[in-house]
This record gives sequence, structure tokens and C-alpha cells, in this order.
Amino acid sequence: MIPLYRVVRAELFKAVRKRRSYVLAGLWWVLLPAVTLIIARVVQVNVGGSFVDETGTTVATLLQELASPYGLARVALTGPAFLSPSYYVIVVALLAAVFIGEEKSLNMWKTTLVAQPSRLAVIWGKIAAMMIVLALLMAGAALFAVLAGAAATTFLPTTFAGAWGELGRLYLQQWAHLTTLTLFASLLIFLVRNVALGIVMTFFLPALVEGIYTVWRATVGFEPINRLNAVFQALELRRTLENLPRWFLTDNLYLPARVPARRLIDLFGAEAADLQDSPLGSLFGSGLTLPHAAWAMTLYALFFGALLTWLFVRRDVD
Amino acid sequence: MSVIAAHGLVKRYGSAVAVDRLDLEVERGEIVGFLGPNGAGKTTTLRMLAGLIRPSAGHAEILGARVPGRGLRRVGTMIEEPSFYPYMSGRDNLRYAATLHGDVPPGRIDEVLAFVRLENAAAKRVGQYSQGMRQRLGLARALLHEPDVLLLDEPTNGLDPVGIAEIRENLRTVARQGVTVLISSHILAEIEKLVARVVAIERGQLRFDGPLHELTARLDEHTVTMRLAATDPDALRSALAEREIAVETEAADPAHAKVRIAQAEVPELLRGLLTSGVELLEARRVGEDLEDAYLRLLREDGRPS
Repeated sequence: MIPLYRVVRAELFKAVRKRRSYVLAGLWWVLLPAVTLIIARVVQVNVGGSFVDETGTTVATLLQELASPYGLARVALTGPAFLSPSYYVIVVALLAAVFIGEEKSLNMWKTTLVAQPSRLAVIWGKIAAMMIVLALLMAGAALFAVLAGAAATTFLPTTFAGAWGELGRLYLQQWAHLTTLTLFASLLIFLVRNVALGIVMTFFLPALVEGIYTVWRATVGFEPINRLNAVFQALELRRTLENLPRWFLTDNLYLPARVPARRLIDLFGAEAADLQDSPLGSLFGSGLTLPHAAWAMTLYALFFGALLTWLFVRRDVD
Repeated sequence: MSVIAAHGLVKRYGSAVAVDRLDLEVERGEIVGFLGPNGAGKTTTLRMLAGLIRPSAGHAEILGARVPGRGLRRVGTMIEEPSFYPYMSGRDNLRYAATLHGDVPPGRIDEVLAFVRLENAAAKRVGQYSQGMRQRLGLARALLHEPDVLLLDEPTNGLDPVGIAEIRENLRTVARQGVTVLISSHILAEIEKLVARVVAIERGQLRFDGPLHELTARLDEHTVTMRLAATDPDALRSALAEREIAVETEAADPAHAKVRIAQAEVPELLRGLLTSGVELLEARRVGEDLEDAYLRLLREDGRPS
């Protein structure tokens, strides 16, 4: 445990000295709540007290959901999961580039592994340090969102009300899910020995694989038109293949962050449950549950973690 | 007990053999020069000793423990050009390494910075360091945890003469403190000033392992180098050419001629020159330096000089 602790301390020492950490924090902690508050203020000034208040959802309700301390904290959790590539994957890939990729590009592995010859401690210490930085970034984002929301209560009709306990649990689960993404990004960047290529692959590889599956399903489907599908049917694998999207990395990965968005959909008059069969269904994690996503992420994490460890312990240092 | 030991070390890259059944033992407190032309397998051997690459066969031991293992915690290395995080200062790079290692006493960072005379540049980003400063910082990092063993690969690469002398002095000081040093270098003159024992490898195989004077003496047994000067240098050269003896002329001193001949032929050569009418001003045997000896060692093996 002591070598692991030393690696974590050393890596955190490095992360504090890396400008990239502050840029990522600045975007998440300051820019996101600031933009949300500006939008909220514009909405309040332009449509508050208008005909909008006479239809279903009032402007005050909308502002409470988006720009209250609770609403902003929720935006800080949910927003990063709805970008493409998501802000979560950007943060994780850039951290993996610092902690794993930079060792290769700056030729630092030989230094690191001589100062700390325990390779297991080095790789898992780096992963642990990345998770700590992610926890700090997420906690900071939540804290700054609450502070911005608290400040906004002075000029917006918002309060501190909200399901804080549930939101806290979702933050925790999303952070835990990011372990899988961290292992995945570290594995790719280590495997391809090229930071830029590793980052690009982290951004797009899961979406590409899932996209290919979707196209194949839409075009060929599971009709018994060829021998391969006939074999699948004979082996009763068809159901498994049809259920494959339930195990897609991205859908499960972002589920804790996307769950709160369902409430916003309901707010605007649509039923989240209705989205299940629509193209937007996967975007909101329709048909998936948090325990299922936790299982899926655990399985992925075990696979990526085992592969990364095996490669790291065996590979010669150039 | 040997501090550094290699037992039948082999490293293969596909069909190419970089290191071929290398045996090596270094005792406590020794400074050993590790010689070999480019691609001889020096760096590969040092990397295997440092636990950075796995041998294809054989094994290495440091302080009696198999590599990789606990012995590596007592090793300081500088393999090829030292690398650092350029966005951190020199002091922060050392602090990072100290945290990673763990067993670095408080105040040691200042000590090693002063030792390599970098205390005034410690707060500067490493990205702004000159090559010489980086080399010195690399040595400081290798010494940070007061290692028992130093593995150094071309530590004076890219340094000016002043920088080379500084590093040499640093290494002498370290060796006096009982640290075992295995040092490879292309600058053979530097090795000669620093070590008493040399290990030479070529194409991954051991070619020589013994005291420095033994290497030069062994080669002197067969041939000697004579430095000749005459009142008429051209007549001297013609007389030597008639006897089909190759002459090396020093650019800085064209009046002198250096010849390498069999020891038994020296009296006959001198008699012959006198009978040819050459008035000799000087005829003395000169000792071979390490570079001469080393190049001849390679030539014995059929390599072009």
C-alpha cells in the first residue's frame, strides 16, 4: 500500500502543477453555471409574466429547475453528459493524456519506473490519482453551482428546494462510472503509444462500434436471410444480440448524469417513458436502470483494468 | 557478493539479438567503464539491469536481489538523455521523484542541487534549461535517494569540456563515498580518466572485462606505437614509405610521425632509418590511450577502424 500511496501523492503533486487541470476546472466550475444563469436571466426578463405563464409550466418553475442552487448543481452533473463528445470524456481523456500519455511523449517512464519499480503501484496509483482529480472536479462543479445558484436567488425567483440526497447519490454513482472511462482511456492511450490518437479513439471508438451495430441492425437486422443469422437463431442468440444496446458502454456510462434530464422532459409535457422507442431513447437512458448500469460498468472496468495491468506489467520501456 | 551481476543476459528483438549471453559482475565501490560501439547493446544491458526491459533469457541481480525486485530501490540511473516534466521547475521535478521514491530525507533536494551546482536555477522551469543543466539535474535526480548503485548511460553526452569536467568530478566524489558505478560513454578519454576497470561489448557479446591497464598492456605485447621526429620530416616519411609502414601525422604537429609496428621490429627500423641518412631528432615509444586500444580491440575482431 505504501508504494501506491507514494505514487498517488506524486501524481497529485504533478496534476496541481499542470495548467490543464485549472482550465478544465474553470470551464466546469465557472463557465457552465455562468452560461446557465445568463440564459435563465434572459428567459426571466423576456418571457416572465407573459403568456407562457398561462400555459402548463410557468417560467418560475423552469427557473427553479434550471437556475436554483439545486438546479445548477443538477446542470453541473447532467450538462457534461449531453455534449458530443461529452465533457466527461474530454476531461477523462485529457487527464489520461497527462497521467499516462505524457510519460511516453516526454520519455518519463524510465524515470518513473526507476524511482518506483513496483509497476502495479505505478499504474494503479495513477488511476487512483485520476479518480481523485475527477472527484475534486465534480465536487468543485457542484459547489460552484450551489454558490452561483445561491447568488442567483437574489435576482431570480428561486429557492434551495430540491432532492439533494438523490442528486448526491447520482454524483457519486456517475463518479464511480467514470472509473470505467478512466481505465478505458488509459488503456487506449497506453496501447497505441500516441497521445493524440489515444484521445481521438477514446472520444469516438465506443460510439463508432455502437454506431456500426446500429447500422447493421437497421440494414440487415435479424431476419433469417443468411446462414449466419440462421445459426444465431438456432443457438437462440438472437435475443442476446437484440439486447446488446442495453450493454453499450456510452448509454450505461452516462446514465446517472442523464437520469435527472428525464424530469426536465416530463416538465415540458412529454413523458420520458414515451421516448423508449424513439431515436432519443438511448440519449436519456430509457429502458436502463441505475443498478443495471452499475453492473455493466463494473464488468467493463474489470475487463479494461485487467487488460491495462497485464500490458503495463509486461511491456518493455523504450 | 557482487553489487551488480548479469548471468547469461540475452535480449532478442524478433530475430535480432541485442545482447547475447552477457555475464558481468561488479563489486561494491567499483567504477566500471562500459564500452561498446553504437548498437553494441550497452543501453539495452543497462535497461535490463534497471528493470526497464525484461531479458529474453538469463537474469540480472542488484545487491543480491533479482531484477526486477527490491534491489532497484537502491539504484540511481541516468539512461540516455535525462527526461523531465518541462512545465515544472528543477526543484519540483526532484520533489516529484522524491515523493515517488519515498525514502528521501528532508533537505536532500537542496543538497543534491548544491552538489551539481544548480541551486540558483532550481526555481526555473526545466523547459528553459540548457543541455548541460539537464544533464546535471539528471545526475542530481539519480543521487536523490543516496543510492548504493549508479547506472549511467552516456552521462556527459552533449556537454562542453567544462560540463564534462564537472560531471567527472561529481562522479569521483560519489565513488569516494562507496557508491558502485557502471558508466557507459562514447567519450573514451573521459572513461580513461574515471575508471580503473573496463567492460567492452560488441554485437551484444562480451569482448573484454578487466583492468584498464591490462587492456592497453595486452595490446602493447604485440605492437608498439613510436613517435618519430627528424631534421627533414619529408625524408623520414619517404624512408617509412619505402618500408611500407603507415604513418599517422598529428595535424597539430606535422613534424612528428606516429607509427605502429611490431615490437621486435623496432631496432631494425631505427637502424634502417639511420642507414638511409635520416637524422632522427626523436624516437620514443608512446603509451596507447584507451581509444587506440579499444579501436584495435575491435579491429582484431575484423571490424573496420
